[in-house]
Amino acid sequence: MIDRELFQLAGAKSISQKLAGLDVLQAFLIVGQALALSAVITQLWQGHSLNWPLLAGFAACFTGRQLLTWLSDRWLDHYAGQTAQTLRRRLLAKLFQQGPALVQAQGTGSMITMTLDGIAEVRQYIKLLFSKTLAMMIVPVVVLIAAGCLDLRSAAILLLMYPLIVMFMIILGKAAQAKAEKQFGNFQKLSNNFIDSLRGIATLKYLGLSKRYSRSIFNSSEHFRERTMRVLKIAMLSTFALDFFTTLSIAVIAVYLGFDLIKGKIDLYPALAVLILAPEYFLPIRNFASDFHATLNGKNSFKRIHQLINQPTPPTVDLALHEWGAGDELKLDRVQFKYQNGAAIAPLTLTIRGYQKVGIIGMSGAGKTTLINLLSGFLTPTAGQIAIQGHPDLASLDIPDWRRQLLYIPQNPYVFTATLRENIAFYTPDVSDKQVLEAIKVVGLEDLLADLPEGLDTVIGSGRRVLSGGQVQRIALARAFLDKQRRVMIFDEPTAHLDIETELDLKARMLPLMDQRLVFFATHRLHWMKEMDYILVMNHGKLVGQGTFADLQQDNEYFQQLMKEMRGED
Amino acid sequence: MFKRISLLRALKRDRWVRPFLRRYRKTLIFAITIGVVTFVCGAGLMFSAGFLISKSATRPENILLVYVPIVLTRAFGIARPAFRYLERLVSHNWVLKMTSRLRQRLYDTLERDATSFSSKYQLGDILGLLSDDIHHIQNLYLRTLFPMFVAWGLYALIVVAFGILSPLMGLWMLILFGLMIFAIPLWSVLVNGARQEYEKDVKDQLYVNLTDNVLGIADWVLAGRSNAYLQLHDQNERQYLATARAMHRFERLRDFLMQLLVLLLVISLLIWGAARFGGQAGGPANWIAAFVLAAFPLIDAIAPLPAAAQETNVYTNSLVRLNNLPAPTGQSTTAPTITLPAALQVRDLHYTYPETSKEVLRGISLAIKPGEKLAILGRSGAGKSTLAALLRGDRTPTAGSVTLNGVPTAQFGDQIADYISVINQQPYLFNTTIANNVRLGNEAASDDDIWAVLRRVGLAKMVADLPHGLDTKVDEAGLRFSGGERHRLALARILLKDTPIILLDEPTVGLDPITEQAVINTIFKQLAGKTLIWITHHLQGIDHFDQVIFIEDGQLAMHGTPTGLWRTNQRYRELKKADQGL
Repeated sequence: MIDRELFQLAGAKSISQKLAGLDVLQAFLIVGQALALSAVITQLWQGHSLNWPLLAGFAACFTGRQLLTWLSDRWLDHYAGQTAQTLRRRLLAKLFQQGPALVQAQGTGSMITMTLDGIAEVRQYIKLLFSKTLAMMIVPVVVLIAAGCLDLRSAAILLLMYPLIVMFMIILGKAAQAKAEKQFGNFQKLSNNFIDSLRGIATLKYLGLSKRYSRSIFNSSEHFRERTMRVLKIAMLSTFALDFFTTLSIAVIAVYLGFDLIKGKIDLYPALAVLILAPEYFLPIRNFASDFHATLNGKNSFKRIHQLINQPTPPTVDLALHEWGAGDELKLDRVQFKYQNGAAIAPLTLTIRGYQKVGIIGMSGAGKTTLINLLSGFLTPTAGQIAIQGHPDLASLDIPDWRRQLLYIPQNPYVFTATLRENIAFYTPDVSDKQVLEAIKVVGLEDLLADLPEGLDTVIGSGRRVLSGGQVQRIALARAFLDKQRRVMIFDEPTAHLDIETELDLKARMLPLMDQRLVFFATHRLHWMKEMDYILVMNHGKLVGQGTFADLQQDNEYFQQLMKEMRGED
Repeated sequence: MFKRISLLRALKRDRWVRPFLRRYRKTLIFAITIGVVTFVCGAGLMFSAGFLISKSATRPENILLVYVPIVLTRAFGIARPAFRYLERLVSHNWVLKMTSRLRQRLYDTLERDATSFSSKYQLGDILGLLSDDIHHIQNLYLRTLFPMFVAWGLYALIVVAFGILSPLMGLWMLILFGLMIFAIPLWSVLVNGARQEYEKDVKDQLYVNLTDNVLGIADWVLAGRSNAYLQLHDQNERQYLATARAMHRFERLRDFLMQLLVLLLVISLLIWGAARFGGQAGGPANWIAAFVLAAFPLIDAIAPLPAAAQETNVYTNSLVRLNNLPAPTGQSTTAPTITLPAALQVRDLHYTYPETSKEVLRGISLAIKPGEKLAILGRSGAGKSTLAALLRGDRTPTAGSVTLNGVPTAQFGDQIADYISVINQQPYLFNTTIANNVRLGNEAASDDDIWAVLRRVGLAKMVADLPHGLDTKVDEAGLRFSGGERHRLALARILLKDTPIILLDEPTVGLDPITEQAVINTIFKQLAGKTLIWITHHLQGIDHFDQVIFIEDGQLAMHGTPTGLWRTNQRYRELKKADQGL
């Protein structure tokens, strides 16, 4: 129920000691408060006038108790905040250190939720767990001892009730869980059903079904309600049990005390004190139970974040590489990669020299993107050796010096929600406006610039102004144009989704940028092949051919067949 | 002062909360009454217990003299948890019932403009957002409105009860509980509500910011600027954390003050009790313990109010967003009917989007004969999709006309679905079985019909190999199927629908050429004889068409048959060659 890892966090020990101290003090104040109050009442009952000093004592205990709550909350808040902050820093550092591979594995949405909501939940979790569990372990014990000193039988009733409550809560909790799990399939389906219908609303409209579907939304939601209520009926029983045993024991204690009082076995003062203490005895466990569900999310988040932070990072190769030159060489020797789901790249061997334009062609799923990710160092091969610029026997291309030379242009390059200038100068933040404007001219973004109300300072990106696929590619090209230090370009299907006219225009602007650079270009658009110096043909994760366009056309059967099929001639 | 409470502002012209409160008034009142009774039982338990032991301490000779308080103590002890359980069930049931209505309402609201969705609500996430809003309204009911109403009920009860016993004490209770039930929550909304709203804004901003940068993470890493971003995030977060800290500081102070008020309540009850019942041993003095002890359980009803009140500011956005949606109109006109075959005629068509000045289409004329295949090409933004929307009658021309056998297409309303089907870029597959998804085309279709169309689109073998065949669930958003397969499923749906005209809006974007060609071949083979209007971005499979048009700047730049254009048009030849890699 309680994470051991949580108590291993930095500072956990010292804060829990401090809190335990406060809790002990608080428990004594609770007892003091009860004794003072019952003394005041008893004296009034005896016909005396109000005992002001005793009343002041009660007020002091009461106030003191609240002050301690204040203090412990403050300490915990500080501690939880600090701890969460540290976790958040480590999580983001991990994320930005490992980059796309980690995001791909976890999903963008889940990473973001984890960083923001997850951390907030963990913070809440730490706060609740430390305060509520400690209070639950300390306060009832002190209160019970005090009650025992006042009246043994009442204390015995209190003691007996505690395990009963815990037992029933566990049993009923389990029952509710079982019931919920049994219905979980439907449960999930019905709650997703609504969003699903909203997403598909256009399709429904196209099929002429949308009006009629409205009724079905209501019905399935009602169905959902009935099922939810069935689960809630049981789930809420555990709160009921807690409530029931609490109030029942108070009632039982009151009745027994009444009998004893009539028989003269006990005085009013201790009897009243016990009656006042009884609810205090149950208060910590009630607090704990009411927050228990709130902490479950935090517990899961904590576990996931903890796992992620402690995941081993694939080792980067620290190697001094110089700017890629005409005489440099990159060799892959029997390099392989296996995904966890079983897809794989078969051992491939190739040698690339100098400023070549290397085309990578194949059907979707042939392994083009995986090869690209291996070349850019985003993925680490599972076997094989790589040699670069004469450094032999490398396990991967995850080399900081290599990354510094890469220009990576995927099908949908990312445009940040930032100004046009910031977006274009992302890789070269120090360039002048003149250079940015020149880049805009070279890649053909003048029309966009003319359209923007604040020129270079206009914020673009998905949050503001959505750009067309062609414009996005042009921004990526402008980045490449500005960063003349980077001599390696990697393209992953950059033009397949564009209309043919835009594609041809972009091609004309791309080709000059490829001069004096090493280029890897994955595509299934045929017209690019003629521009390539060397072509790699992929099929089902295998490198089934490599050579110049002319060579492949001559003697690679699969390549010929591929060309033919892609043209739609069969 | 009340103007600063944003929830009240939002509720002023509200169509999403108040009507439902009114509609389900009876159950609501029932739930609130049970809520009040729950707390009355809680206080009653301590009241009767306090009286019971005080009275017993006077050592009455007969146990029957304390019989009533004994019974009451037990009864309250059992009734309190029972009523609490009941109250929670009733209120949850009530809220869920409302949710059903809210969902239906949201759906109806969105249904009206379903086809122009993407242009109207840029972010696909808006749907998720709206459905979260419904969830927020649920919380607003359960966590704020219910407890508030219950506390008000209790307040009235306490004040009236004390007012009857002694008017002065009644007045004092009016003030004291007024402070706890109204003043402190109000203060909380005013001070912390603003903070909470600000915190939420900052957090939303953080969200947007982080999403933006995680999506662009490859660029941060490759540019070697990861650390720059980490620092930036730290900086952005600082504001958020500072606000949160200020809020917590305030909450601690507020809760402490609340407890001091409780202390004041207990002390004033003691003083009042001493004056009213004190002075002699036993007798009326038995009531003192009863009144004082009864005060403590009431805290449970009041303590959560300030936090609940403060939270309302967070829900306000949801309420405003929902209220800003257009109200659904229940108009249903009788659609005209036409006799097949169906011919589309476009005459001098002009279109300008509402509230814009740029004319998207500028004088397009076309005749699409029954069974003809038309390809529409053009750059993105040239007006292809607008033309499609006009053809289907989702939009009304600003000038000129689009007619189906002489009837303007916009007049058909939903009935247009009987004549024109659509396959778009991302065919939506619902999260249900394959059979259900295909059957959307024709709800009366038998399993045999479904197998027949699956065979025609080339999916029969693949579906037969699935563990549950037709009853296999399409995973959420159809991710289980590859791009080509999704298109084939969508096509199967269209085949069942069997309309004379099919509109395809760039259906094969993102497929590799071989898969694309295969899909194209299937479509042409299976839809032979039907009218096809195909918007496309390149020239794969172009020779299958009877007519090709290129739209440029809202006008027809090229128009002809594929062979005709190949013979006479230089530009067409260049594009075609490039596409073929020749």
